[in-house]
Amino acid sequence: MTHYLLIQFVTWFVLCYFILLNGGYLVLNMLSLRTLHRKGQEEMLDDLPRAYSGLEPPVSILVPAYNEEATIAASVRSMLQLTYSEYEVLVVNDGSKDNTLDVLKREFGLLPFPEAYRRRIPTKDIRQIYRSTRFPNLRVIDKDNGGKADSLNAGINASRYPLVCGVDADSILQRDSLEKVTEPFLRDPTVVATGGTIRVANGCEVTGGFLTKVGLPRNVWALFQVVEYLRAFLFGRLGWSSVNGMLIISGAFGVFRKDTVIMAGGYRPDTIGEDMELIVRMHRLLREKRQPYKVEFVPDPVCWTEAPEDYKTLKNQRIRWQRGLAESLSANWGLMFSKNGGVPGWLAFPFMLLFEWLGPVVELGGYVFMIWAFLTGEISWQAFTTFMFVAIGLGILLSASGLLLEEMSFHIYPRGKQLLALAGVVLLENLGYRQLNTIWRLIGLWRWITQKESTWGTMKRKGDW
Amino acid sequence: MILPTGGILPAHALAVAFTAPSDPILAAAYWTGIGALGLTLLLGAQIVRLRMALRRRERREARALARWRPVLSAAIIGETPEELPRLSDSERPHFIKLWVHLQASLRGDASLALNAVARRLGVAIDARAMLARGPRTDRLLATLLLGHLRDRKSWDILRDMTNSPDVTLSLSALWALVRIDPPAAAAYLTPLFIERDDWAMSHVAGILKEASAPVAGVLADLLPALPPERLPRALRIAEALRIVLPDDLLSGALAAADIELVTAALRIVGTPGLLPQVRELLAHPDWQVRVLAAKALGRIGDRSDVDRLVALLADREWWVRYRAAQAIAELPWLGAAELDALQAALADRFAADILAQVIAENRSPGGTA
Repeated sequence: MTHYLLIQFVTWFVLCYFILLNGGYLVLNMLSLRTLHRKGQEEMLDDLPRAYSGLEPPVSILVPAYNEEATIAASVRSMLQLTYSEYEVLVVNDGSKDNTLDVLKREFGLLPFPEAYRRRIPTKDIRQIYRSTRFPNLRVIDKDNGGKADSLNAGINASRYPLVCGVDADSILQRDSLEKVTEPFLRDPTVVATGGTIRVANGCEVTGGFLTKVGLPRNVWALFQVVEYLRAFLFGRLGWSSVNGMLIISGAFGVFRKDTVIMAGGYRPDTIGEDMELIVRMHRLLREKRQPYKVEFVPDPVCWTEAPEDYKTLKNQRIRWQRGLAESLSANWGLMFSKNGGVPGWLAFPFMLLFEWLGPVVELGGYVFMIWAFLTGEISWQAFTTFMFVAIGLGILLSASGLLLEEMSFHIYPRGKQLLALAGVVLLENLGYRQLNTIWRLIGLWRWITQKESTWGTMKRKGDW
Repeated sequence: MILPTGGILPAHALAVAFTAPSDPILAAAYWTGIGALGLTLLLGAQIVRLRMALRRRERREARALARWRPVLSAAIIGETPEELPRLSDSERPHFIKLWVHLQASLRGDASLALNAVARRLGVAIDARAMLARGPRTDRLLATLLLGHLRDRKSWDILRDMTNSPDVTLSLSALWALVRIDPPAAAAYLTPLFIERDDWAMSHVAGILKEASAPVAGVLADLLPALPPERLPRALRIAEALRIVLPDDLLSGALAAADIELVTAALRIVGTPGLLPQVRELLAHPDWQVRVLAAKALGRIGDRSDVDRLVALLADREWWVRYRAAQAIAELPWLGAAELDALQAALADRFAADILAQVIAENRSPGGTA
């Protein structure tokens, strides 16, 4: 009888978990719908020429670079062409072993500059600061290797402006990306951080560092990630943002109020997920101080990134992401159910913990248990098929809703064939790819438990931009 | 029932799987799955519907543009056709979008010519109706059109719209009112700019550029009576519009205890009459005040202030040192050689470093020197 009850309990637990998980995301979806609808109404205003008043807060773009000799010149050149009233670009060469620094010196006419560098956040030693003789708003910091977070901290120390924008060296930015993501700072003085939608650049045409034609990747791994990114950004982040509960801003492109980042102690160099960890820490500290603040998400596609196209790189990326998530949450337990925790402490953090951090254990455990229980005759065929039907059906529903939000708002992929391909991916990714992801996330969790050291992630590049 | 009742054959099992189970919780899960499936199909249908609607809209837009772009282009170069084509209802929103887009980059006769085309087509009447009864998108579009047309008849409704909590709508209405009648807009709206914190200062400043003279007058009248908590925002507007305020108004603000007010006043200090107060603020305990006092001294200071600025080069706060160095480097009576000599003579390492940096910045391409 106990055995029967145990099997029944686990079955219900797994079923309820899957329903709650997907139900939670559907609620986020509903929250995103309203924001995107409103955004769509203002679309025509975006097309009109923008008049700068000179009161837009100037921005320091921080570009950490490690062994980026192949792409750094094109990336920096595109960043120097953004449309914004006042900004500077600070490239931080994190002790690259290749010719990143030489390429920068040659392409931008760098000369050593006697900068009175101030060390507000501790970092590895600065070797030299250079200034471009061709672009007055470009500086390069050459420093000892210390990782991405350390590089961003060095950039913050050297930055001149009140807003800092962390950008990956291989990110492809929209020309108006800074305008879009700084908009919330103009509207509301309590905004401390904003992030924009990141899209998959594989299959797109890139010229002169800018995206000129949108396309879908031919590679199946990258194709799966297109739908994944739609889900993650268009309702994952936008939904949480609408209730000020967003715990992640992608390191590929995010803008922060510098004072707040410094108050929080800057990026943590000993973590992999330095982008998420900083946001969670900012939530925790600002909540503790009872300081009014907002972390906002801008749904516009402002940044494009190259997604991994091979199994090994993708697997490693996901393992790193899961480790980063685990590190970010474990370093900020104080936020959860804290007295003044609000939505981040009482809703977003527990949600992340239950469905993202613990998710792989329960999800994979659920699949394994159900298969085992069915094969050993512990549960009926009917219970097994119902479980698979609900788990996969809800997954497909979520992916489809991501696609709907895209179609409602930006319809980036103009051709009918592309839409059809994405619809196919919505179905297919739930029949193996998502489960595979769960396994990788579980490995990430294991690596976090065994605490292996963090380093720069390696990326196998296919893009020729 | 979760546990198997016996040996169920796969064929039977499949049939069972697609009928609602008898166990209540399993049935609930089953119906959740059915619900998910149904919703997915609905979403799919909605995606297709949206895509088809988009295609129809694009085709309509392409047709409208093909018909009206040549007409508007001809008008821009002063060759408006005698007979204008009829503007159909389905073309109207696309026409207005095109018209607004072209207007945004035009001035003078070309802009007036487009206005004349819009009036001949009766678009202003439609726009007023859209403003009064249309959905939010139509209201936004109508606001832009009526603003460019400087349509006085829509003044009252636009004025009401500035009170809307919807920031985009209210700012668009503000823009239109300033286009229609700058002095009247300044008189009515200046108190509102100060009041509405949700209006981004950069947007307000951008909109008010056309009405800076009338706003200056209204602001000068308003300032003495404003409550202290509203003064910083009012001063920021004055700064944005480069409005010169009387010294006695600023003097009171510089003597205030509120840091935000003092810094707002320091940003617009522009006459030597306030020098004694600015000099006093160089020793203020708040570093942000010291930063702005150094900048102000760079603008209005005299030769006797060089020593005061040099003293600030050793301030404990980097930004104070940096701004003081910039102020020194920009003093018109200090030549390059004197600046180098001053830097070489500095005993404090922080002071020497920061002045060296600013000298190098000014002498590199793109610098001010």
